[in-house]
Amino acid sequence: MKPWRQLAVIAACAVAAALGTYVLKGPPGRLFQCDPVSLKPDEVCLDRIPKDANVLWVDARSRAHWKKDGVEKSVLWNLDETEDMQAFEGALALAIQEIAEKSGTPPRVIVYCGDENCGVSRQVAKRIRELDQELKVSVLRGGWRALNEAGRTRKSHGSL
Amino acid sequence: MDFPTTLREIHAPPDVESVTADFEFTNRSGKPVDIAKYDPTCSCISVQIENGKLHYAPGESGLVRAQFKMGNLSGVVDKMVALWLDKDPEEKPSVALTVRVHIPILVSLEPKTLKWEVNGKGEPQTIHITMHHDKPIRVVSVTASSDSFKHELKTIEEGKSYDLIVTPVDIKTMCLGIFRIETDCQIKRHQIQQVFATIRRSSPGDAVAKP
Repeated sequence: MKPWRQLAVIAACAVAAALGTYVLKGPPGRLFQCDPVSLKPDEVCLDRIPKDANVLWVDARSRAHWKKDGVEKSVLWNLDETEDMQAFEGALALAIQEIAEKSGTPPRVIVYCGDENCGVSRQVAKRIRELDQELKVSVLRGGWRALNEAGRTRKSHGSL
Repeated sequence: MDFPTTLREIHAPPDVESVTADFEFTNRSGKPVDIAKYDPTCSCISVQIENGKLHYAPGESGLVRAQFKMGNLSGVVDKMVALWLDKDPEEKPSVALTVRVHIPILVSLEPKTLKWEVNGKGEPQTIHITMHHDKPIRVVSVTASSDSFKHELKTIEEGKSYDLIVTPVDIKTMCLGIFRIETDCQIKRHQIQQVFATIRRSSPGDAVAKP
């Protein structure tokens, strides 16, 4: 076979493979990138939080989303009008106490919502600080999306 | 699409169940614009576009009305309404409207949590309860979740100001107490309040790398 024909066959195979991948798996996804330089003072990048860190995760999304694919052992605290804010306060205080009794010190609290634009996590973080529990409370840049892409949600573990 | 303001701040009276925020807009783009979809991001907000009109010729004006149900919330709450115009990508709506509602706090508790250190001094500490309403609000009862703390309610001024004095029974082990303060406030979302008492080892763990 002449070289130009070989080249054409190789190119055709490559295009067919690329098209097949696109059809089966969809367009290329962009993974969330956390730029430490652009972090606000209360924000944190996920890659700075080891999996075994002494952290209590707070899910600021809806109850349905939290149940479906929240972080293992996270607690729920959103600003839906049908929810009981005092129940959220109580559940958070109990979770902190439980962790403190096991590990000897209270955990760092990190709040996440749907994505980097959601805005609820910052409001929830403020409410947690207002409990006066002397906790370090942060907001996760990238929210649930960053956690899921890093394989740290129930959905990414496949244990729904 | 030009919105003169994308933030509406509303100071809600204490007893209302919902508030409404209007966002006016004009199509100044020089070409027709369609509102492809809108998302209130929360079940607590219902959104209406004036006359259900979604297509706007150049120069035409319209109005987005957001009604916010306050439920059990108090303090400052921001709620967003996202608008997708024409062919906005799913992850990036062109317009983000914010309804910022200031819901009065009729019963303030200061501090919300009392703290003791394990093996520290188990001295009594006080939570100040102050009413911020034009009608008196009385504390009807205080119940504790744990026998590890003693508590005493002192009336400073009936219907206006109270002190809750809490003393740990045993300071040798870590412990959490939750105190439920019931009032006779007529507005349901302010009736029950909650404060905490903790006995812990010192400062929060910082077992994670710095960002």
